[in-house]
Amino acid sequence: MDRRVLITIAKDEIAPRFDMATEALLMTITESGDIMRRKSFLLARASGDELCDLALSRDIGTIVCGAIEDEYYHYLRLKRIEIIDFVAGPLDEVLPRLTVNTLHEGDILYPRFGELA
Amino acid sequence: MVKRLEELIGADCPNIPALLDGLPMGVALLDGEGHVLMLNKALEALTGFSRDEVRGLPCQHVLHSRACVHNCPHRAEKLPDTGIETDCINRHRRKIPVRITPVRVVDGKNNPVCILDVVEDLTTLRELEARLSQTSGPGQIIGRGQAMEKLLRLVPVIAQHDAPVLITGETGTGKDLLAESIHKASPRSREPFVRFSCGPMPSEMLDAELFGRAIDGSEEIKPGRFQQAQGGSLYLSEIADLPPAQQARLVRFLDEGTIAPVGATRPTRVAARLMLSSTESPEKLVRDGRLREDLFHRISAIRLHLPRLKDRGEDLGFLLHHFLNHYAARFKKSIIGISPDALSLVCAHDFPGNVRELKNIMEFAVMVCTGDTILVEHLPGHLPGLRDAGPTPRTQAGRKSPRKNG
Repeated sequence: MDRRVLITIAKDEIAPRFDMATEALLMTITESGDIMRRKSFLLARASGDELCDLALSRDIGTIVCGAIEDEYYHYLRLKRIEIIDFVAGPLDEVLPRLTVNTLHEGDILYPRFGELA
Repeated sequence: MVKRLEELIGADCPNIPALLDGLPMGVALLDGEGHVLMLNKALEALTGFSRDEVRGLPCQHVLHSRACVHNCPHRAEKLPDTGIETDCINRHRRKIPVRITPVRVVDGKNNPVCILDVVEDLTTLRELEARLSQTSGPGQIIGRGQAMEKLLRLVPVIAQHDAPVLITGETGTGKDLLAESIHKASPRSREPFVRFSCGPMPSEMLDAELFGRAIDGSEEIKPGRFQQAQGGSLYLSEIADLPPAQQARLVRFLDEGTIAPVGATRPTRVAARLMLSSTESPEKLVRDGRLREDLFHRISAIRLHLPRLKDRGEDLGFLLHHFLNHYAARFKKSIIGISPDALSLVCAHDFPGNVRELKNIMEFAVMVCTGDTILVEHLPGHLPGLRDAGPTPRTQAGRKSPRKNG
């Protein structure tokens, strides 16, 4: 079954905070892991409420974001939306994992301190 | 630079992590690019991340603060002298108010070594501020002592019900204000709040005042207080002053929800919440035969007692300054405080008139005060102990005391 996913982003990375994100990427991922539709949304202002409304109005099934306040988290979970939060990393690293269902809450996808060199 | 820091933080020099761990506030050690080198224990506890987990991460993905997105201090050319008050979301999804103070660490040759982000948890401070700003309860009633806080916490709960409320307390303790607070916090707040003092009055006139009167020769009713309070709340003060016949009518209203206007042929249904007050103990009133027992049992389901001002502990000082500021603003005076002599005189008073008396004293004092501090000579002359009080230095030379003048 196709999955509709919303990712809160800042430039080409996951936005550190859900309620401070002004950009969101909406996409549909097919059962076979292909990204079918991909659409960017620019919000006029950072607002957790508006992001929730956007997710509900677009029938989103999964949200990928950075830190999210428990109030939004529980509200979205109540609306049966899966939340993969505290994800940190560039979109290029996040998307492949998302399409093969290996992206998990708390995944840090930046190269680490020891790996910089 | 990273290598030097590694040396500092590493095994060769273990003092730095130990030093940072010993600090009571959170500290993040960042490189010049804003990547996390180390978190101290306090910041681990605050963020919910372990230092190993986040080493090398961009700091905004560790602190998750509002400032990281909007107003990142590291991007500014000059770091702010004072901290930035913001909030962060920790690993447990809890939003925490914090103050972040970035400090640029340089070596002896002024070369940048690293950045320290000092993160203070402001939760306790914010809670304290919120508590202080809640000193004004719903409506006008104020207080922050334990007794009043307990009472004010009950107001929103009681407000949601329709049961009658009996408020007791000495004169000047705020019974009327408490009743109004309950009404304002209730779903009836948009409907009228009608108060009526059950003073001595001919029985028939009292009936008409309370329950309304049929206009001669017609079905029309001249509304009484009950009809005026339709949908809202009716507050009757000094219930013991109500004659037994009217008390019996209240019992009927509480049982059936109807009243019988004077001269009317049929009862009228009224959907008002009844609140009553008494300065005396209701049990004593029943014993003395001044309050019907059946009425007492119906109105005593919710009983609230307002303590005397003398029993309200820290409230005395708080209310004193509250009224001082209130009247100073109202009379447009720049009064900043009260002298220690005047304060101890006021605090030594018994306040038989309770908060109302304190309010009147402060109104008078602010009114006659011409300087920036309320002195003994500005207090009203009737205050006991005032004559024994010694002379008080004046704030401005040559100022005359209104009290001494007249």
